[in-house]
Amino acid sequence: MTARYSLKNLLAGLIFVGFGLAFGYAASNYPIGTALRMGPGYFPIILAVIMVVLGAIIVVQSFREGTDEIALGAIPWRGLVLLIGALVFFGFTVRGLGLLPSLFVTVFLAGFASRSNGLVGALVLAAGLTALCMVIFVWALGLPLPLFGPWLAALGL
Amino acid sequence: MDLLANLALGFETALTPANIFYCFIGVLLGTLVGVLPGIGPTGAIAILLPITFTFEPVTAIIMLAGIYYGAQYGGSTTAILINLPGESSSAVTAIDGYQMARQGRAGPALATAALGSFFAGTVATMLVAVAAPPLARLALQFGSAEYFALIVLGLVASVALAHGSIIKALAMIVLGLLLGMVGQDIYTGTPRFTFGFFELYSGINFVSVAVGVFGLAEILRNLENETTRSVLVKKVERLWLSKDDFRRIAMPVLRGTGLGSILGILPGGGHVLASFASYSIEKKSSKHPEQFGKGAIEGVAGPESANNAAAQTSFIPLLTLGIPAHPVMALIIGAFIIQGIQPGPNVITSEPALFWGVIASMWVGNILLVILNLPLIGLWVKMLTIPYRVLFPAIIAFACIGTFSINLNAFDIYAIAVLGIIGYVLVKLDCEPAPLLLGFVLGPLLEEHLRRAMIISRGDPMTFLERPISAGLLALAALAIIVSILPSIRRKRDEVFVEED
Amino acid sequence: MIKTMFAAAIAAGVSLAAVSAQAQTYPERSITIVVPFAAGGPTDTVTRLVAEPMSAALGQQVIVQNVAGAGGTLAAGQVAAAEPDGYTILMHHIGMSTAPSLYSALPYDPVEDFEHIGLVTEVPMTIIGRKDLEPTTLAELVEYVKTNGETVTYANAGIGAASHLCGLLFMSATETTPTEVPYQGTGPAMTDLIGGQVDFLCDQTTNTTGQIQGGEVKAYAVTSADRLPTLPDLETTAEGGLDMEVTVWHGLYAPAGTPDEIVQKLSEALQTALADQGVIDKFADLGTTPVAQEDATPEAHLETLTSQIELWKPIIEAAGVQPQ
Repeated sequence: MTARYSLKNLLAGLIFVGFGLAFGYAASNYPIGTALRMGPGYFPIILAVIMVVLGAIIVVQSFREGTDEIALGAIPWRGLVLLIGALVFFGFTVRGLGLLPSLFVTVFLAGFASRSNGLVGALVLAAGLTALCMVIFVWALGLPLPLFGPWLAALGL
Repeated sequence: MDLLANLALGFETALTPANIFYCFIGVLLGTLVGVLPGIGPTGAIAILLPITFTFEPVTAIIMLAGIYYGAQYGGSTTAILINLPGESSSAVTAIDGYQMARQGRAGPALATAALGSFFAGTVATMLVAVAAPPLARLALQFGSAEYFALIVLGLVASVALAHGSIIKALAMIVLGLLLGMVGQDIYTGTPRFTFGFFELYSGINFVSVAVGVFGLAEILRNLENETTRSVLVKKVERLWLSKDDFRRIAMPVLRGTGLGSILGILPGGGHVLASFASYSIEKKSSKHPEQFGKGAIEGVAGPESANNAAAQTSFIPLLTLGIPAHPVMALIIGAFIIQGIQPGPNVITSEPALFWGVIASMWVGNILLVILNLPLIGLWVKMLTIPYRVLFPAIIAFACIGTFSINLNAFDIYAIAVLGIIGYVLVKLDCEPAPLLLGFVLGPLLEEHLRRAMIISRGDPMTFLERPISAGLLALAALAIIVSILPSIRRKRDEVFVEED
Repeated sequence: MIKTMFAAAIAAGVSLAAVSAQAQTYPERSITIVVPFAAGGPTDTVTRLVAEPMSAALGQQVIVQNVAGAGGTLAAGQVAAAEPDGYTILMHHIGMSTAPSLYSALPYDPVEDFEHIGLVTEVPMTIIGRKDLEPTTLAELVEYVKTNGETVTYANAGIGAASHLCGLLFMSATETTPTEVPYQGTGPAMTDLIGGQVDFLCDQTTNTTGQIQGGEVKAYAVTSADRLPTLPDLETTAEGGLDMEVTVWHGLYAPAGTPDEIVQKLSEALQTALADQGVIDKFADLGTTPVAQEDATPEAHLETLTSQIELWKPIIEAAGVQPQ
């Protein structure tokens, strides 16, 4: 069976409709107000409606335009998980652990996201880039971020 | 009113060895923070503010101003090389600049950005010198109704940012507008879409959005085909512009300079429109609009010039009236106060050496920047030979530190992750990120000015049509819609049986 | 049993000794003052001006860090949750006393969750109007607002901003209801006032003095008890027959649980800084003065804070501002 629709457009349209509905639902809790004194909900609701309409048009179009020229392609799951993990780790620990250890782990996770980097490669990369960042941000620009945080102090380090 | 005498005073001040030195330090630091993703001029100036306490006032302002326009130069570098715009203005540069880099034309792209910026900076500074006070008066004619109309025009024109489906570009703009709504409503204080987190009360940070939908999404795209794609960038052909390139960028640079100079004067957000508007105009007036988005050099030349011209003229409201056009200008006002100078309309008469010295220093700074940046092009292009598996973790590290340093808000980092996923998925589905970014920047302004105009007019929507500037801008927007719809209708009629491309 | 109690007593003694030893040697590294607003604003400027002499008095670097967001509550919440070791402290203004009335889910208590180091300065405010606004005196302005009611527009720099609070006070003192037009910060509000898009505004002298002196706006009154040396011709609200007095007071805070010795040291450093001639001069340029030495103390600070919280609560409620 060959699909007679554009999968990309269909998915994009559905995502837009989803965003529109989600924002619209959340905005429905805010007072709409009047045209003179527009409430906090007025503008978001208008936008949410437009979003849903545009999404719906894209969905309809997806059935009229035929199949995609270029297929959707693979999703780099390893990269996705590790990169998101790296960012979340940094946000979560930069205060507690301090910049130096937090950044080291973050770069390690990010480096490991590439299939071309092995464990050792990622470690070397983490050490090198962390050192580089220390030079640029802490030494040269003098960012006032503590290198070691209170979590380590609590451990007596 | 003796311009020559004033300029002589200005250059006398700006050309002392100390002031040249600190101007150089300023533009150097500005280039550096502009190149580093995340950390922008606001952060750099805030950090360096205490150092300038011990300086002469004019030296301090010269250096801080240098950081600001230096960052505008540097910002385009990462946008072109690694698709990572540090500011809304360079998001436009990323569209064609990054494509040029992938085609091995990073050198000409960077050179265009540098030359365009230099030309625009020089001309716009001249405008500041010749006509700052009357231009500032003119800009004050802009109230909320006018800004609303201007932003509507900007949004209409911005559809040109897309080189694919127009309807998807519209959807991305609206999604950007919605994301811009996150945070505390400025009129009632109601937190919107914050899920109870105080960290989200000020909204999503622009840098998080830019790094997420451009930088992170692009990294994920590149990780897709890691095994199959060996070289990311074609071999670099030449570093400098060819004769043909020069011919192609001449008009875009001129138009961009004019447009940016005008928009930069408007303190209520004109400067953010400059590069977007320039891109739209270049695409509309080009004989080959289909090349835009695929590495058209005009798409780099126009917006970069517009951006830099606006960066210079946005000093006009600050220097002549003491009102800040954006956060960086607010910081410089703080520097004035700390230096014991009362910012306001009196600066021009009470501190002429400062006023004219700062203006003259902008010329000096622009010359220093072009001297500094042209030789750097070779170095930047070499950076592209760094293996991608080393480059992208470096991007992540820089983005983390830079973004966190802005407000020390961990949510800004989480926002990169979330927007990176959204951006990646949507880009994979052939939606382009630039319109989203534009919507995100303009959304809050659009709502703010619409609501304020309605409050001031006491709920009468006719205010938008009764005020001549506003009516004119809205008419222009309507015209733009008609013009862009007409040919497609005609084409549809002609090519109804021809397969769509 | 006795053994364990003994051990506990020793342990307690040791940790007490550790705390006081920590307080003895304080400060051993740089101290960070968190400013809850963007760099370049009035609170930031005030902080940077006192940070330098405080640093000299403490013998350690004092770093100013801007954590803007959520009307200043984001930074206050962060400092409340910070280590109570005296290395992270907060500079906040009048907003500390209004936040409990403006935010229902405030993640901290301004009184309980902080040690109060001392007051810093009280910045007066000025009532100003667009250049071509009809009234020329404060009394005429009040009359004008009364006659024209909602057609008069009053700009403010956003919910909870000093200019918003001053406006609320003006409305409650004059029993008028001009239309409030909020802006995002003083800069754009001032731009529209100079451009004649709105009618009047009340903001800190740090923001308005230059515009008044430059003749870009019309000044009606200053909200402090005495006239200002920088604007000697400008009458006070009391002279103009209006019963409202408001100043934007600033104070320094440490997280609750910070040892008394450390709070004391910080308070003394603050007093030294406020006596510094350089600070007095720079403050004068801003149209303000440092507080008296006896007010730069924990006791005076706490007293001001509690009385201000009580003062603002009914005014904000009466204005119908919904707590968020």
